[in-house]
Amino acid sequence: MTEQVLSPQGQQCLQALMRVWFEFERQLGRVPLLQRLERGQFSKADYCQLLLNWRQQVIEGSRWISRCASSFDRDYSDVRSVIIGHAREEHRDYEMLEQDYVAAGGSLADIQSAPRNIGTEALHGFLMYRASQSNPVDLVGAMWIIEGLGQKMASDWAAQIDKTTDGDGSYSRFMRYHGANDDDHLQKLYQLLDRLCQSPAQLDAIVRTARVTARLYCLQLEEVDNEY
Amino acid sequence: MTVFITSSGHFLPGPPIDNEQIEPLLGLVHGKPSRLKRRILQSNGIKTRHYAIDANHNTTISNAGMAANAAEHCLSNSFLGKRQIKMLSAATSQGDIVLPGFGSMLQAELGLSDIELHSSHGICSSSMMALKAAFTNLLAGEQPNALVVASELTSRLFKASRYEAAGSELDFNAEFLRWMLSDGAGALLLETQPRGRCFRIDWIRSFSHADAYPVCMSVGYPGDNPQNRSWQDYATYAEAEAAGALLIRQDVRLLENIVKLGVDGYLRLISEGRVQPDKVDHVLCHYSSHYFRGKIFDMMQRAGVGIAEHKWYSNLYSRGNTGCASIFIMLDEFRRSQHYQNGATILCMVPESGRFNNAYMQLTVVEA
Repeated sequence: MTEQVLSPQGQQCLQALMRVWFEFERQLGRVPLLQRLERGQFSKADYCQLLLNWRQQVIEGSRWISRCASSFDRDYSDVRSVIIGHAREEHRDYEMLEQDYVAAGGSLADIQSAPRNIGTEALHGFLMYRASQSNPVDLVGAMWIIEGLGQKMASDWAAQIDKTTDGDGSYSRFMRYHGANDDDHLQKLYQLLDRLCQSPAQLDAIVRTARVTARLYCLQLEEVDNEY
Repeated sequence: MTVFITSSGHFLPGPPIDNEQIEPLLGLVHGKPSRLKRRILQSNGIKTRHYAIDANHNTTISNAGMAANAAEHCLSNSFLGKRQIKMLSAATSQGDIVLPGFGSMLQAELGLSDIELHSSHGICSSSMMALKAAFTNLLAGEQPNALVVASELTSRLFKASRYEAAGSELDFNAEFLRWMLSDGAGALLLETQPRGRCFRIDWIRSFSHADAYPVCMSVGYPGDNPQNRSWQDYATYAEAEAAGALLIRQDVRLLENIVKLGVDGYLRLISEGRVQPDKVDHVLCHYSSHYFRGKIFDMMQRAGVGIAEHKWYSNLYSRGNTGCASIFIMLDEFRRSQHYQNGATILCMVPESGRFNNAYMQLTVVEA
């Protein structure tokens, strides 16, 4: 592995974020829907339900990233550029997700009209709130979680979903696509860590936001099984 | 109270078996050579190992017998005679019989009298659990010494006839461990006083994550198991065997989690101040396969808490992966064959994939 965080502060932050990530993976391991996926007792209907819930967060995701970019002032213009690039790359991801939903047998009108679940409300609310603060350095912690999840989807979930639902990959494209630019994204994230984590206070804020994001993400996935 | 490892021993049955000799010994399943063997052996890097069964599938020595030999080897290098041993703490993944506990069988085999007994059951980390039980017993002042023994005889599960009894097709998860595991035993003697050059146990800690992950390595479930049926739920053991519920399996898809969880525990111990990466002089890590060594190493490097490659010691490649016995066999050979200085810090790690229990121990070399 060639990616390296160079500054001691960034390095310490990376260690803490790795632990938050490992804890997040264990939290995910306790979500009933994902336990069923692991056991292979996961239907196409479960998958559609997952996409239906997920789409609402993905489509909001580009909003908080864009706002996050615009909240960085002139002292962070380099960071702003990186985040704008990221937002631009991902702002239409939800379309691929919708196509997967339709390919898996869902109706476009259903997924487009579905409301946000309780976890998505909380996650979106939190991220938009943080993104509205001036120089929201801590959001690199949220990016860490969401980037990691993209990799997990691609390397872990997509194949398992196809396996348990007898899929041929035609409706798991959104999940797989996230693996494609992994290295590049990770490298950018490491650079952002070095740039944004320069004090103990910043380290604490980044780690805290990563933790909150992880917990709320889990809540969103737990809520997929709930219908109101 | 301070606890020291004052002696160690090991036992490996029969001659070393190289990669070409494995299949003739374990047998061709349905008369056909394995298609996975080469790939798995290449990835685990093991060159030789030992088996307590012969090519006719006779058991040459029992599991308790191997454990007793390792214990005798350990005692023969120690200041204590059998009559002075106060506690026996034993570990295995599967004793020769289902009940009673492995410790009882080993005690009888060894001829130890009036001891306090502990049996620890699990997979690779069970030896560390047995060690911790003995360690805390001594720390609490309950006993002045304890013999800790770990032994594995898994080759009995790898006989071709076992796979044949379980039906026609061999799946990857059921075959995987056939090319990974082998037999052997290791023993450590713990005392509350140092003897010559010995290892002080600074601490032993483990983190188990069974609540967050599915079973990864098991004996007792059939391959496809929607009803969560165990081998004991069948009308007869013959039916359980035919369903493949007595095969040892590894869910290879889940195996990679071992790397992350191993590093996770390591990072926790660093943040608790128990491990200082730059102070570690020797690393003895029970990785099941060379493949994982690289992965663990890389992830530690990436987190900026890597330990230089020359500090890593393992005898996996020549002694094989002997499950829970591995870490003791490794520590014993390290003790006898490697150079280490007084005050040196030794970090032992045992990440277990059974259902993800990770154990760690720090030792310091002292001279009495």
